[in-house]
Amino acid sequence: MSNYYEQYNSNAHRANHTLADEATTALEMARKNIANFFGTNPDQLIYTSGATEAINLVAFSWARQNLSKDDIVVLTEMEHHADIVPWQQLSKEIGIEVRYVPIDTETFSLDMDAFSVAVSGASLVCVVHTSNVLGVRNPIEEIIQLSHSSGAKVLLDCAQGAPHEKISFDVMDADFVAISAHKMAGPTGIGCLLVKKSIMEKMAPFMTGGSMIRTVTTEGSTFQEGHAMFETGTPRIAEAIGWGAAVEWLDKFEMTDIHSHVQELASWTAGEMRKIPGIRIYGNPEDREGSGAVSFLHDSIQSLDLALFLDEGGFAVRTGHHCAQPLMDALNVPSTNRISFWIYNTMDEAKMFIEYLNYVVERFS
Amino acid sequence: MTSENDWPDSLIPIIEEFKDCFDSMDRYELLFDYAKKHPTPLPPSKWTESNQIVGCQSRAHVECNLDEDGNFIMKGGADAQIVQGLMAITAIAVNGLSPTRVSQLSPEYANVMGIQSSLTPSRANGFLNMFKRIQEEAIKLS
Repeated sequence: MSNYYEQYNSNAHRANHTLADEATTALEMARKNIANFFGTNPDQLIYTSGATEAINLVAFSWARQNLSKDDIVVLTEMEHHADIVPWQQLSKEIGIEVRYVPIDTETFSLDMDAFSVAVSGASLVCVVHTSNVLGVRNPIEEIIQLSHSSGAKVLLDCAQGAPHEKISFDVMDADFVAISAHKMAGPTGIGCLLVKKSIMEKMAPFMTGGSMIRTVTTEGSTFQEGHAMFETGTPRIAEAIGWGAAVEWLDKFEMTDIHSHVQELASWTAGEMRKIPGIRIYGNPEDREGSGAVSFLHDSIQSLDLALFLDEGGFAVRTGHHCAQPLMDALNVPSTNRISFWIYNTMDEAKMFIEYLNYVVERFS
Repeated sequence: MTSENDWPDSLIPIIEEFKDCFDSMDRYELLFDYAKKHPTPLPPSKWTESNQIVGCQSRAHVECNLDEDGNFIMKGGADAQIVQGLMAITAIAVNGLSPTRVSQLSPEYANVMGIQSSLTPSRANGFLNMFKRIQEEAIKLS
């Protein structure tokens, strides 16, 4: 990103000068590398600002063209608000039915029996690959198979899944996949929607102007085809280049090794936390398929108080409803604290966290 | 607005107590103690949308009125003990004052006590929102 700003800072897909050419080449090279990382070709990758915009893009560009009043969209109680609100809005606008698959609050897993019922007659199934709250990895293979058998398209929110598992878009056979770069060593403000080319052809522009324009006359306009139709205005050139560098770096590792490291830290930490009086963990961090997230509460120290104490010890802990209020309602809690491990964390840090958490609980409970 | 020399008498020993704290964890512990000493708590059963303070990360509610002598009374409740402690100290400071005096108070005491600087920006904003709400109520009751 620094190199772009210092050496060839210019807009892409516009001018003919050398700097613009270099910027365009770098932007498209990044697309190729990122698409390759996700097991697909660059024609099926639309740059977005992140997973939220990617899901909204499906709602605005595909759903508004292809769904109507009698259609059914299936969500789950585990979804992030970004994968709930666009469908609620669409329901208000055109009257689609929105169904929610519940979770089993004992096992913290999706009720797949309820899913099998909900998917019947559905046109679209939107499911989070890995819960940002619980760290639970959903049975997406089964979900995709059941959905397609019922004739429903599948949108996967892989914002949390992509940092923990190799996402192979062409193999997994989902119709749409939403990803954010900043959760996988990339910059903020960029992500993508992976979408099957045959489905992209049935999408209409969401926003207009800038790069997506082919011609404009006083009588009307024509648009670019493919991913270019959905990338309006000045592209996120520096961010795309940064994300491209991030996946290049990540490609030096096996995702299974990254996941094993993260899972070892989360599993050990959760095990130690369960020994601390008053701590309750939401999710199954010891599960081999779980992400590095460990959500928890203490029975007498309020979550925001606990977060401030942990911050004093240098531990950055997320607190609140995690943009998943329906899940909080299902769990019957207003919020949780959440620690998250990834590639850069160490066992020494996990041990320091446990030591400090013990100190805080002893002092304030 | 009040200067440091014009704090209500009830607030001065509390300010001194906080100044004597060794570090921010000590200050938090003291706030926890004050949370239990709220002179006019507002129980959760009285928490409504209309008395909720906007901009506070935790749930916080305030109700203000006058006692039979026309003095200001602030009732408050929060789910986070740190916020409840801040409310308790504020109630100790303002209860029994005239509403006009309350409307002229400065929230600077939180800084002087070393509390505001150890709160997250959003929590500090929450405190300021609470204080602003109390002063708006005091102006209405003046």
